[in-house]
Amino acid sequence: MRKRTYALLMAAAMAATTVTGCGSSGNGGSGNGGLGSPAGETTTAAAAQASEGNKEGAATAPAEFSYPMAAGDKLQYWCDLTTTVSANYSNLGETPFGQGWQKNTGVEIEFLHPPTGQMKEQFSLILADGNLPDLMEYNWTVDYPGGPEKAIKDNVIMPLNDIFAQYCPNITKYLEENPDIDRMIKTDEGHYYVFPFIRGDENLMNTIGLMLRKDWLDELGMEVPTTIDEWHDVLTAFKDKKGCIAPYSFEYTNGQYLGADPFVAAFGVNRSFYLGSDGTVHFGATEPGFKDYLATMNQWYSEGLIDPDLATLKNDQVSAKITNGQAGASMGQAGSRMGTWTTAARSTTPEFTLVPAPVPTLEKGGQAEMGYIENPFSGRASVAVTTSCKDIERAARLMDWAYGEEGHMFFNFGIEGESYTMVDGYPTYTEAILNNPDGLPVSQAMSAYIRGNYNGPFVQDIRYLEQYYTMEEQRQTPIVWGQCNGAAHTMPPITPTSDESKEFSTIMNEINTYRDEMILKFIFGTESVDNFDTYVKNIENMGLARALEIQNAALDRYNAR
Amino acid sequence: MKIKRSKGEKTFQVFNYVFLSLIIVICFYPVWYVAMASFSNSNLLTQHSGLLFAPAGFSVDAYKKVFQNPMITKGYMNTLFILIVGVIFDLFMTSLGAYFLSRKRVMFKKPIMLFIVFTMFFSGGMIPFYINLKDLHLTNTLWGLIIPFMINTSNLIILRTSFESIPESLIEAAQIDGAGHFRILSTIVLPLSKAMLAVMVLYYGVSIWNSWFWASAILRNREMYPLQIILREILLSNDTSSMTAGTSAMDTEAIGMTIKYATIMVATIPILCVYPFLQKYFTKGTMVGAVKE
Amino acid sequence: MKEKNPRNSFGYRMKRDWIRNRSLYILVLPVLLFYILFHYKPMYGAIIAFKDYTPTLGVSGSPWVGLENFIRFFKSVYFGRLIKNTILLSVYSLAFGFPAPIILALLLNEVRNKHFKNVTQTITYLPHFISLIVVTGMLTDFSMTSGLFNDMIAFFGGERSPLLQNPKLYRTMYVASGIWQQVGWGSIIYLSALAGVDQQLYEAASIDGAGKWKQLLNVTLPGIAPTIIIMLIMRVGQLMSMGYEKTILLYNPSTYDTADIISSYIYRVGLMEQDWSYSTAVGLFNSVINFCLLIVTNKISRKFSETSLW
Repeated sequence: MRKRTYALLMAAAMAATTVTGCGSSGNGGSGNGGLGSPAGETTTAAAAQASEGNKEGAATAPAEFSYPMAAGDKLQYWCDLTTTVSANYSNLGETPFGQGWQKNTGVEIEFLHPPTGQMKEQFSLILADGNLPDLMEYNWTVDYPGGPEKAIKDNVIMPLNDIFAQYCPNITKYLEENPDIDRMIKTDEGHYYVFPFIRGDENLMNTIGLMLRKDWLDELGMEVPTTIDEWHDVLTAFKDKKGCIAPYSFEYTNGQYLGADPFVAAFGVNRSFYLGSDGTVHFGATEPGFKDYLATMNQWYSEGLIDPDLATLKNDQVSAKITNGQAGASMGQAGSRMGTWTTAARSTTPEFTLVPAPVPTLEKGGQAEMGYIENPFSGRASVAVTTSCKDIERAARLMDWAYGEEGHMFFNFGIEGESYTMVDGYPTYTEAILNNPDGLPVSQAMSAYIRGNYNGPFVQDIRYLEQYYTMEEQRQTPIVWGQCNGAAHTMPPITPTSDESKEFSTIMNEINTYRDEMILKFIFGTESVDNFDTYVKNIENMGLARALEIQNAALDRYNAR
Repeated sequence: MKIKRSKGEKTFQVFNYVFLSLIIVICFYPVWYVAMASFSNSNLLTQHSGLLFAPAGFSVDAYKKVFQNPMITKGYMNTLFILIVGVIFDLFMTSLGAYFLSRKRVMFKKPIMLFIVFTMFFSGGMIPFYINLKDLHLTNTLWGLIIPFMINTSNLIILRTSFESIPESLIEAAQIDGAGHFRILSTIVLPLSKAMLAVMVLYYGVSIWNSWFWASAILRNREMYPLQIILREILLSNDTSSMTAGTSAMDTEAIGMTIKYATIMVATIPILCVYPFLQKYFTKGTMVGAVKE
Repeated sequence: MKEKNPRNSFGYRMKRDWIRNRSLYILVLPVLLFYILFHYKPMYGAIIAFKDYTPTLGVSGSPWVGLENFIRFFKSVYFGRLIKNTILLSVYSLAFGFPAPIILALLLNEVRNKHFKNVTQTITYLPHFISLIVVTGMLTDFSMTSGLFNDMIAFFGGERSPLLQNPKLYRTMYVASGIWQQVGWGSIIYLSALAGVDQQLYEAASIDGAGKWKQLLNVTLPGIAPTIIIMLIMRVGQLMSMGYEKTILLYNPSTYDTADIISSYIYRVGLMEQDWSYSTAVGLFNSVINFCLLIVTNKISRKFSETSLW
């Protein structure tokens, strides 16, 4: 049974490597040579393997290592507390997940969390005072100004190469088997810097997309729209015939959604940097396609097809509008949005059905070139060991556990017998999760036991999603939303050199502020789209060319890795 | 004594009453709206548009949810701790400073006054202040929300003005009796300034109750969060999902609206209730404290 | 410290003062310590404005960069807008927010019905107790197209629009909500000043045949003028120090045009983008301007009205 799960996991990981694109997908098979071999005593076997490459590892005698570890120092672990946890617990350490993690690894953890929505601010202050928690979960790749190599140079976090080799047999093994991911989680200088969050399956990477009311479409005799023009017709019909005050409404204040916007993708661009078909980095927000996007949005906005409160929209307002029929189309995840809204709305509107819609195109029958498909490693929720950490081995072993077989099951499915049971070799969530006796929604019940349903330092397992999506429409989402060539345009996790990083972040801070502001002005019509050229010129004056130069150089270095 | 009122004066009086009534309405209605909305049935509320004079439907579900949230209770306890300990410390320190500045014939009084007033207009800024807090080990502790904010300079000046109005003869008499300054402060000056102290309690109390920024900056443990941080999470992150636990899926989303309002009520009512108790002293206190330097 | 009295020297006077007031100085010691620790020490920390602050090197260990951070700010594309927005928002807050409580106090002073006066006072104080978080939360909610404000606009035949997305309305919203929150509370100080005006002056004036309006101009306003001037100086001195708290709770990219002020910029740069030194430099610049403003106003005030802070 154990063997089978492991094989499944690896198959999932293999699938992941094939979509990472960039033309180097051929190595999926070769790296997995050892896959079929019995993985019975994974930990010890891998540990032995790791110790070979480790010359001064004699003192630690890794071959004899086993979890749980002996009692030792308490470790401080800083991370965002997701709302599905904070609903019922004030601290990750109080959850069965937090308890179990500590019990299984033998490491006592003190969990520290920023207030919801204040993660960046608190991160910044923690860094400013230099008194860092031992382990910090953050997007070190993107959100540390200057990138990970700078973080190492600033003496904030430790390079993990030696630590991986010495104490982390599980992740070392994983990276050996997945060279594509190995390449992603390194800096150009070859430093490992985090215990990464990795999406272990292609279908876990395109979780955000468009959705709209199927029951209304049927009633109006319309098809699911696939082009911008069809969308216009559908939204107009929603407005005129269904009385929507905000036919298309989505959580505009959510940065992740902005980056994923399928309507931007429809015009073959992106709001920020993307990988062009020519293999170089482009900045979408200044390209001609973006002007067309703005013109369209401006038209829709003035026609009342887009939520008038766009700029201030938060989740609860969008939820209210979708469920009470003031809005008919939106954007979001299949689980936390589509699923939640459908269940909520059906109590009053039994026929309420949301279906996913593909990334729109300009011409009928085409396939979108752009689209939101994440890298298996996006940088998010990955854990760095800070320079304040005293017991590095303990911290490393704690983190490494999640990449082993036991840890993998624990992070994705929780505690056997409590949150899941093995049914024919398939980890199946129990009633406590899927039909919580205390009436908790699935997402909250899951979050108490696992991190598989959001993120964290481990490899995400597709089998969580298979059970999380309970509706047919949700199961369609990976296919529908995946109808694009987006993966080829997703920026790989490239990083500027530490010398260029300050310049790059200074330029981009100004550009991003200006861009965000102008996009809204164009959409609202306070600034005419005719002035797009002035807008582009201003951005160029802020140093866009230099930023692109830095990005392209970083891309070259990445490709050369 | 009756003064004959001219016609113009009468018109003015009418206008005055009408205008002030209007101000009353403007000041009061938003609060009333929130109160009524919090008792409303969430579904009816979302459909309602326009002014609200009574709850739309009646429901206390939102309050039930608010009080079920473990963070609200914890937030209350933390805020109460900061409030009570904070106000005591604040009063103590501010009194010391005000007493010193109210004494006459003290050579370094003026330089010290300048030294203090200067800080009202010049500050090191947010980041240096934070780094300083860390150096003093005041991060991730509730004391970090009390100690660095013990003296508010404008309050200090107001209290000093009040102390200055105490007859010098009383203090001199006590000095002749051999009383030290601390004795004089605690047995003569403070008891005579009860009204002003009540004002100070209110000033400090309100600002502590409503402060949030530094709490969100220095606290790492959710167990320590004061009420306002929880409130901010709910209001501005619009994170009502965290409150809808245990609701059957049906009204999960809709109840979000009323929960917001109920949370506002829960976080505001206590501080509103303090005021009437202190009002008696309050009017008296501010009379004395009228800023006149 | 004048040269004229070399004999009866500074040292001697200091000694006498120490003997006389020793216990008083000991008493004030914790207060001074407080100011040193929590006000002056951070001012020293502000030297990071001239450095490239790196946490691991500490405040003193970080390398000097001179005026680089300041120059960067002056050259920034947002420099002009930030200054303009800060000044305009301040001036509006001052122009409307400063007289409002005075007017309210004057009106309240004319109310003869004690009961009504009490009720008005109590209710106008009410908003002061409501936290900024709640006020901005309510404001955001009410400003939505389906919110209370728009309900009222629609009722009077206006068109619904998202009010907080309109940069032209932002300052109005900001200033008006500020007045709403503080007008009652702010009037307290003037009410007490009014109570302090000698009643005999009114009687004398009314015997002279002065009407209400004349009394206001000749008795009331001069009576509370010192209070008004002191309050004004303090306000002007803080003209540039608009707090970031309300702004960051209220603005969004669509209103940056009028909403983004120096302090919110400091907040964004310092906390969102971790450019600590730059952020501190901008703050320091702001503080210096404030201080100059204060000195200038105080000078002017001293010249024309003999009232001043020091």
